[in-house]
Amino acid sequence: MQSEKPVVMANQRAAAERKKPFRLKGEGMFIFLCLLPALLFVAVFTYYPLLRGVVMSFQNYTLFDLLNIQFIGLDNFVSVVTSPDFPRVAMNSFFWVVCSLFFQLLFGLTLALLMRRRFRGRGIYQAFVFFPWAMSGFLIGLIWRWMFNAQFGVINDLLMKTGMIDAPIPFLADGMWAMAAVIIANIWYGVAFFAIMILAALQSIPEELYEAAAMDGAGRFQQLWSVTLPYILPTMLVTILLRVIWILNFPDIIYSMTNGGPAGSTHIFATFMIEKVIFGQDYGQASAIGVIIVLILLLFTVFYVKATRVEKGGDF
Amino acid sequence: MKVSKWLSAVLSLALSMGLVAGCSQSATNPPASSPEGGNGQAKETITLKMVESITSPQRTELLKELLAQFEAKNPGIKVDLVSPPFEGADQKITQMLMAKEELDVLEVREFNAKQFSMNGFIENLKPYTDKWKNYDQLTDIAKRRATWVDNTPYYIPNGLYQRVLFYRTDWFKEAGLEVPKTWDELLAAAKKLTDPAKNRYGYSFRGGPTGWDYALITMWAYNGKEVDPASAFFLKDGRTVFSTPESLQALAFYKQLYKEASPADSVSWGFQEMVQRFVSGSTAMLIQDPDVIDGAKEKMKEGTWATAPLPIGPSGVAQQVVGGPGWGMTAYSKHKDEAWKLIEFLSDPDQSTTYAKRTSVIPVVKSAAEDEFYKTGYFKAFIDMNAQADTFIDVSRPVDYKGWGAWQSTADKDIQSYLLDKISAEDLLKKWDQYWSKEKAERK
Repeated sequence: MQSEKPVVMANQRAAAERKKPFRLKGEGMFIFLCLLPALLFVAVFTYYPLLRGVVMSFQNYTLFDLLNIQFIGLDNFVSVVTSPDFPRVAMNSFFWVVCSLFFQLLFGLTLALLMRRRFRGRGIYQAFVFFPWAMSGFLIGLIWRWMFNAQFGVINDLLMKTGMIDAPIPFLADGMWAMAAVIIANIWYGVAFFAIMILAALQSIPEELYEAAAMDGAGRFQQLWSVTLPYILPTMLVTILLRVIWILNFPDIIYSMTNGGPAGSTHIFATFMIEKVIFGQDYGQASAIGVIIVLILLLFTVFYVKATRVEKGGDF
Repeated sequence: MKVSKWLSAVLSLALSMGLVAGCSQSATNPPASSPEGGNGQAKETITLKMVESITSPQRTELLKELLAQFEAKNPGIKVDLVSPPFEGADQKITQMLMAKEELDVLEVREFNAKQFSMNGFIENLKPYTDKWKNYDQLTDIAKRRATWVDNTPYYIPNGLYQRVLFYRTDWFKEAGLEVPKTWDELLAAAKKLTDPAKNRYGYSFRGGPTGWDYALITMWAYNGKEVDPASAFFLKDGRTVFSTPESLQALAFYKQLYKEASPADSVSWGFQEMVQRFVSGSTAMLIQDPDVIDGAKEKMKEGTWATAPLPIGPSGVAQQVVGGPGWGMTAYSKHKDEAWKLIEFLSDPDQSTTYAKRTSVIPVVKSAAEDEFYKTGYFKAFIDMNAQADTFIDVSRPVDYKGWGAWQSTADKDIQSYLLDKISAEDLLKKWDQYWSKEKAERK
């Protein structure tokens, strides 16, 4: 009973501390002032454009007539959502994210597990695996565009030489093939990020856990299932969340490979938005698409965090 | 200790302010250029800011040369040239205008001239052209480009971009073919020259970005003189060009040209691909602007290729949209007289012809037609076409309509859908006909 007193008093003191109104002075003021420049930067370069975009999405903001800009309520959103392109763009965006993510995770995990063990030339192998991540998305698109080319592309050439096809396949001239092609290019690009993140998590698993598992008679597969995967799960969950956001907002590869074509069959929200700006010169509708993207990602993030109960990052 | 803390806080703030200020430093405060001798400013130097749109390294180099000559002639004026990358240059210029950024002379394109004038971004040059002795030196097409918005000169064209047929003389000779004069002859020749086993195709098709433009060329050629040259999506009787049986025939022909004489992946080709395939020896024919000539000279053997006038349609004519970008002045320029001086200098017949020769564009001044350079060789086809204005008709697109941008953003998709058999020609034409009929009805 006596020993509980100090604890109670400490708790009361802590509660009183919490109730104190927050005042900026001395140390706090100093920290705030040091942070102020960064805050100003974030406000000017992140929040201002974001708010401007939201405001624009409710205006008839077209380059054709800048002298007559007015608020038009939800008209831009209605135009975007009711346009004949919208269902296909939404479906494409879904496939683009899900297929890219699934295979990036699968191959990234496999490569990370392979690279975990020491072997001759591991450094060179890792450099090759991580290399795509250092390239620009637009450049990757251009490279894959040539690789998938019907006349001169290396992919058609290989398929012809191995006798798998009789005539070249015009990959980028067919809607289904084109979607598959851009997803393949994106998988090649994104595998590296998963591999890097998972490898970092793998290297932090204490060796004793495996020794203990081995002593309990666990085989290789069981060790993977019961030790490795649970340990790297938080990292994987956070990486998946990041990648969903990035992939949905990543028009580079599609834009340089297909421009969203043929016949709009590879358009995702991000490329659709670019098209509205460049050809349509309609900043209002483009902003509305931007707001729709943000809302989708916000909903997804809330749902995802609740479903997976990820409250803090993994082993970064 | 405390002092050092505060000092570091103030320093970090000052540093970031400096960064922001550095980012936003504009040409309004150029470094004072001290005159020779360095004994203070003899006279205040005016700095003009100029921006180009059709940027390429060679062209920027040439403009810098011309600007150096201008500065030498006008010691009190300096010119600061901005050269945004070609892709997105027009967006960049629009943003500069919207932000009222310091800018005096800009390159205006025929498709944004209306937008710029409507928004009050560019100056009406009539007070200047009225007093300009060389205005009448401009060719008729160049004058039409200069005044096509509200019949008012908003810019002075610097060169004309019009299309001709580029073809492989060696392949034609090999196959015993004559250069095609009509679209039907072009299709027949293209089919004969197509041999996928050899990776050879008859025609460099453009189904990708701005591919709709080529579909329009064939529709115009089929509809002939019924098309209204001032707004070529409409006929002279007010209906749209998409409402006629001739347009239906034109689309059938267009699909045949793609399916039977062009590579399958050309459904997504843009400018780069169509030109690249011609110069690399994979396609026999290409319809493009004169700026392709330089690249072809560089990559192809002399004597293996030539240019010819555009093929004409069953109607006996061939319409073309002659692009004519040029130099305009911002309405808010603080140095309008000096800006005009610069435009006048760049548009002088001698300068203009030099510029046209070096950038491979069609000259805008009458005197160039007498120049030996244009009477022979690759440019002859352009001059020949311009000499037959009744057969090769200069038309304008309805870029001054509010719905132009929205239509343009879906037109490529529609054409690709048709080429890939996802929609019928009738449905495509019906869609476009309804769209443009509505646009016309809503236009005040």
